[in-house]
Amino acid sequence: MALRLATTAMGTRFELVLERGERAAGEAALELIELWDQRLSAFRRDSLVARVNREARTAPVRLDEETYGLLETCLAVGRASGGAFDVGLGRQMAARGFRGQEPSACERPAPGAPFALDPERRTVRIARTGAELDLGAIGKGFALDRAADELRAAGVQRALLHGGTSSSIAIGAPPGRSAWGVAVAVAEGRPGATMHLRDASLSVSATHGRVAHGGGHVLDPATGEPTAPGAVVAVTSPSAALADAWATALAVFAARGSEPPTLPPTLTVVLTETPELSAT
Amino acid sequence: MTDPDRRQFLQGAAGGALGTALVPDLERLAKRWRPRASIRIGIVGSGRQGRAILGELASIEGAQITAVCDVVEGRLKSGLRRVKGAVGFGTHAELLEQGEVDAVVIATPTHAHREVALDAIAAGKHVFCEAPLAHTADDCRAIAEAARGTEQVFAVGYQARSNPIYRLARSFARSGSLRDLIAMRAQYHRKTSWRTPASTPELEKALNWKLDPALSLGLMGEFGAHQLDVIHWYLGRYPVSVRGSGTIQVHDDGREMADTIHAALTFDEGEVLDYSATLGNSYEGRYELLVGSMATFKLAWTHGWMFKEADSPTQGWEVYANRQHFHNDAGITLIADATQLASQGKLKEGVGLPNTSLYYALEAFLKSVSEGADVACSAGQGLRTTLVAIEAAQAVAAGSVRAIDPAALKDA
Repeated sequence: MALRLATTAMGTRFELVLERGERAAGEAALELIELWDQRLSAFRRDSLVARVNREARTAPVRLDEETYGLLETCLAVGRASGGAFDVGLGRQMAARGFRGQEPSACERPAPGAPFALDPERRTVRIARTGAELDLGAIGKGFALDRAADELRAAGVQRALLHGGTSSSIAIGAPPGRSAWGVAVAVAEGRPGATMHLRDASLSVSATHGRVAHGGGHVLDPATGEPTAPGAVVAVTSPSAALADAWATALAVFAARGSEPPTLPPTLTVVLTETPELSAT
Repeated sequence: MTDPDRRQFLQGAAGGALGTALVPDLERLAKRWRPRASIRIGIVGSGRQGRAILGELASIEGAQITAVCDVVEGRLKSGLRRVKGAVGFGTHAELLEQGEVDAVVIATPTHAHREVALDAIAAGKHVFCEAPLAHTADDCRAIAEAARGTEQVFAVGYQARSNPIYRLARSFARSGSLRDLIAMRAQYHRKTSWRTPASTPELEKALNWKLDPALSLGLMGEFGAHQLDVIHWYLGRYPVSVRGSGTIQVHDDGREMADTIHAALTFDEGEVLDYSATLGNSYEGRYELLVGSMATFKLAWTHGWMFKEADSPTQGWEVYANRQHFHNDAGITLIADATQLASQGKLKEGVGLPNTSLYYALEAFLKSVSEGADVACSAGQGLRTTLVAIEAAQAVAAGSVRAIDPAALKDA
C-alpha cells in the first residue's frame, strides 16, 4: 500500500490510501469528493444547497437524481430517529458561528421535517418555517460513498478513505491483513478504541468536537442549542452516509441521556459514551 | 475545470496594488431563468464533462434530458444513473435516429467532435459543442462550415463568454479602464496525473486520449484554448506568432505528452501573452491577467478583481466599494447593487458567482434555442480561437516558433 492522495473539501482534509498503480482511480475518486463539496457546501454561494436555501422557500427547486436520493435518505433517517437527525438547522448553525458569521440570536427550530420532496417532479421545497438546509452531518459520508463507488467501478480492491478523521470507509483489507485498523479517539488523555473495518464505513460523532462561540457543533434539533458535551458515538454501516447521519442522531440521544430508537439492521453501534452529569 | 483554491490565491497574490473584486448584480443573477417550453436534450458523451453537464441541466426547469449516449457501457450507465427517465444509446447515430431530442450537447473526446457535430447538424438539431472545437484545423473548418449552413443554433463551449464576471470585466476593459494594454499572463495549474482509470488495455488507450500526441492537443488545447479565448474576446484580436515548449516534470509514467508547458503568444502591437500550464502543482490554479497602464484585471473563473494603479482616476461606483485583503494590501470589492446588499449584510469578502460557470454557458445555449438570443460563442468565434490553440499546441509539441497567419483566421 504505497500511495496516499489527499484533497481539501467540506472544510476538512480527505485522505485516500491505496495501492501503487491506482493513482488514476484515486484521483477520480477525489474529484468526486470535490464535486460534492461544490454541490453540498454551506460555505459556497454557487453550491446547490445555497441555491435551495435561496429559492426553495418560494418555489420548488429541481434536483439531479443523486442529490434527490441523498435528501430522501435525510428524510428517512429524520423520521426513524424521531427528529434527532435534522438537516434543516442551517440558521442555528450560522447563529452559533459555524458558518463564519458572528454569533447572533436565533429562534428555536419549529417542529416537522425541514423540507418536502416531489417524487414526480424530482423537486425539493423548504417546508418548515425558518429551516435552512445544512448537510454537514451527512455530507462527508455521502461524498465518501460516491468516492468508494468510483474506486470499486475502477476495479480497486483495497483502499481506505477518510474525511476529517470522523468519517471513514474501507474497501477490502491491506495486504496480509484481514481488515483496516482505524483508531477512534474518545477524549484527550484517554485511550481510544481500534475498529477493524473491511468493506464498511465508520463514523464518529462527538459532542466535544468543534466549538464555536460557546457550545459544540452538534445541535439538538428539539431546542436548536448545542448538545451537552461529552457524548461520543461511533457506528459502522456499509454506507458512510448512513453511518454519519446515525452517529449524529445517536450522539443527540446520548447527550440527552435518553434511549435511542430502533436502529436499521445494517447499522452497528460500536461505541457510546454519555456525558457525565456533574454535581451542582 | 476545477476552481482555484481561493484561500491559497489570496495569500499568494503579490504586489502592492488595490484589488477590487468584480461581481455583477448578484441578486439578479441568482434568479434562475427557464425556457418557455420544454427543450428535449440529448447528451453525447457521459464521461467527466458529460456528467457535469447532466448535473447542471438537471437543475434547470424546462431542460428535459431525454437521451444519453456513450460508446463505453460503464460510462453510459453512470450517466443514466444521474438522470431519471432518459433513454441510453451506445452510438450517437442511434441517439439521433431514435432519441426524442431537440438539442444535442457534445461532450465526447475532442477528436470525436467532428463526426457527431456534422451528423447532429444534418439531423436538424440545435448543437452545443464543447471546446476546443476539434483537434485539427480541417475538422474545425468542417464543423464551422456545417454550422454556418444551418438555421439551428450552434454554440461552442468557451465558457468565459457567458460568465457574468468576465462579461462585467470586459465591459470595463473595453471602456478604457486598462488604458494602454501592456502585457497578459494566464495559467492553468492543477496537480493531477490527468489519467482516467480503465479496466482493460483497450479502454485504457481509448479513455486516455488526452495523453495521446496523435489525438490530443494536450494542456494547450484542453485548457489553454479556453483561456486564449478570453484574451481574443477581450482584445478583439489574435496573436501573430507563438513560441512554445513542453516537458515532463512530474508524471514520468511512460507518457509522451508534456505535463508542463509554456507558450509566449505575440500580438500585432507587440504585446505578449505569457501562458503556463502544469499537472504538477496547483498553486493559484487558473487565472488570466490583463495588465494595463491604469489597471490590471485578474480573472479567476468564479471570481474577478481589478487592481487600479495609484494614479488612475477614481470613478463614481468606487464609493460603494468594500475592502478585501490581498496579502498585505487592501483590495476593493465592487458589487453592482452594493447599497442594497450592504443593508442586508451581504457584502462579504470573497463573494463569488451564485451558479457555476458551466451553468451560465448551458443557460445561454438554452436561451438561444428558446428565445432566439445570440449565442455566447458562435462557430466562427470558436473556430478562430481553436485554430490559434492548435498552432500553439504544435509549437509546444515541437519546442518551436510558429507564425499565425491572420488570413487563415478569417471566416470563409
